[in-house]
Amino acid sequence: MEAFFIWLESGDLSMWVRGESGWHMAFPIIISFHALGMGFLVGVALAINARILGAAKAIPLTLLKKFMPVAMLALLVNAVSGILLLIGYPTKALTNPVFYIKLLCIALALWNLRWFTTAILTNPVYDTGAVPKRAKKLAIISTILWAGAIVAGRLLAYTYNQIMTL
Amino acid sequence: MLETISDWLQSTALSHAFISQGMWSWPMSESLHFMGLCLLVGSVGLVDLRMLGMARGISFDAIHKLIPFGVAGFLVNMVTGTLFVIGDADQYIFNDAFRFKMLFMLIAGINVLFFYSTAFQNTRLLGPDADMPVKVKLMAGISLFCWIAIICAGRLITFYRP
Repeated sequence: MEAFFIWLESGDLSMWVRGESGWHMAFPIIISFHALGMGFLVGVALAINARILGAAKAIPLTLLKKFMPVAMLALLVNAVSGILLLIGYPTKALTNPVFYIKLLCIALALWNLRWFTTAILTNPVYDTGAVPKRAKKLAIISTILWAGAIVAGRLLAYTYNQIMTL
Repeated sequence: MLETISDWLQSTALSHAFISQGMWSWPMSESLHFMGLCLLVGSVGLVDLRMLGMARGISFDAIHKLIPFGVAGFLVNMVTGTLFVIGDADQYIFNDAFRFKMLFMLIAGINVLFFYSTAFQNTRLLGPDADMPVKVKLMAGISLFCWIAIICAGRLITFYRP
């Protein structure tokens, strides 16, 4: 594993992310995109959760699906920016258990979001009618998972064991 | 003048209390600040997108019911943001990224006051499939642009420490 970290950290892309190629703005710009993507992905997910839980009932539930392209674009932005940050500091993330908690929270929350968009946001009965109890429970769990991902993500800046192997 | 304010803020009991909690108060306030951000984007951002023409079928009046979540997020962020400034005043007051963030917040604030005082009542009456007037689209565009700029400038504060 150490050899892998050293190989990755000494690569051009890793050095570019860390600002060691002479241009210092790469890291700040990547991390800004990561925050923006978080806002739009989690924002759309929270709006769907809130509506499922009974808020803003005037919004026909199935029509919230129209915001999913925004959430998916935000997910793409965060996958790309997240992988770039990981390439920049692989040791820092991969040697910290908190990083795996963050990934687990995101994976579960996305899995749930997929279920919402395929099973709940496709059924016009829920536009004005009652949403199943199971969906409401999952909306609460999903909100907790997104909050968990955010807390874990923020803690990465404070809980790492080692910044670099190189 | 600014230095006096900065020094005074950092000498307050609240500043010392917030800093001395070390591991917990600062990172947890940052996490709350990010959650507030998500609530804001998930309400104000979606209302802006609807005004710009996305998600036809949802009336402005219906999507606007999400706004209380944005207001809640904004309040959380005002409290946590104020704590950051009180806790480490000189790192913010003399920080160009922070100054830009405040500038964009001011523009967003003027824009939202202008919207609610001139266009809100008429916009509420529009149907689910309505295309918004250019003036309303312009205000939504300014709002969305400002919030994106506020998030980026906020994220950049760390890299512009004086």
